[in-house]
Amino acid sequence: MTDRLTEDQRDCLQELSNIAMGQAGDSLARFLEVFVHLSVPQIQLLDTKAVTGALRNIEDPHKPITAVGQSFYDSHGRNGLHGEAIVIFSQSSADVLGKLLAEQDCSPDEGLLDISNILVGACLNGLAEQLESEFNYAAPTVIGHDISCASIFETGKLAWNTALLIEINYTFEEHKLCCNLVLIMPDQSVNGILNKIDEILAAF
Amino acid sequence: MAIPLLICDDSSMSRKMVNRSLPEQWDVEVTYAKNGVEGLEAIRKGQGEIVFLDLTMPELDGYGVLESVKEENLKSLIIVISADIQPEARERVMKLGALDFIKKPIDAEKLSAALQEFGLL
Repeated sequence: MTDRLTEDQRDCLQELSNIAMGQAGDSLARFLEVFVHLSVPQIQLLDTKAVTGALRNIEDPHKPITAVGQSFYDSHGRNGLHGEAIVIFSQSSADVLGKLLAEQDCSPDEGLLDISNILVGACLNGLAEQLESEFNYAAPTVIGHDISCASIFETGKLAWNTALLIEINYTFEEHKLCCNLVLIMPDQSVNGILNKIDEILAAF
Repeated sequence: MAIPLLICDDSSMSRKMVNRSLPEQWDVEVTYAKNGVEGLEAIRKGQGEIVFLDLTMPELDGYGVLESVKEENLKSLIIVISADIQPEARERVMKLGALDFIKKPIDAEKLSAALQEFGLL
């Protein structure tokens, strides 16, 4: 499936993500005690099977990655907006983070979970605010180290087929951190978000 | 005579939001730029006596625009409007000559207050 967002929907989601990622960047900067350069988040809405090939900021999508997952749901639970957020770190980014986290006396896994929590929370809280909703979160868990993207997205293990891909690149003073936030959701939730985005766009 | 005002942001929605937040009755002629390169070109052409500048943009970011304006000694009063809320981001842009820093999403009252503070209204 090719990206099915209209340009206006993408622009709107990109700006909402940009604001959310600005907040996440600030939290990340405080956590890692570095200045973070932000870049424009890239947005695509895809079939989950197309995610691996769409990860443009990971140098080789077939190389091993580290991934963290966290489910989210609004006050209506399974009847409302819900899904699974997956944060993907390229192996080089996971290595950079491991080094920075060691300087903070933080174990790599614990740090990756904290960083994922910051990214997922900032992004989804930002979206929820615009959607006049509120998300609850399960605790993040490490899906795996040194695994392939294909093992997550191409084997039909996921509960839903639609993925909102938010590509994020943070650059520290000396290091480049590339990560991807993928929101896997049922079509009903995706449509709920797109309807709200269309309402926002119609107001302009 | 209308003041040349430039709104430089890669997001179409954000440009519209800034435009909608402009004080009513403010006599300005608005030009839009989608990235820092277009923005800098508009400033060189005199279309940005006042500039509302985003930081995170493709081609050339807001820091690059501020650096070039400083280097080329261009006459432009620049207010940064950005989602990058790190205190150091604010410090950096102020050192590069920005008048003020307003965080996104834009708040019309804060924008008016900043314009009044600098005698631009």
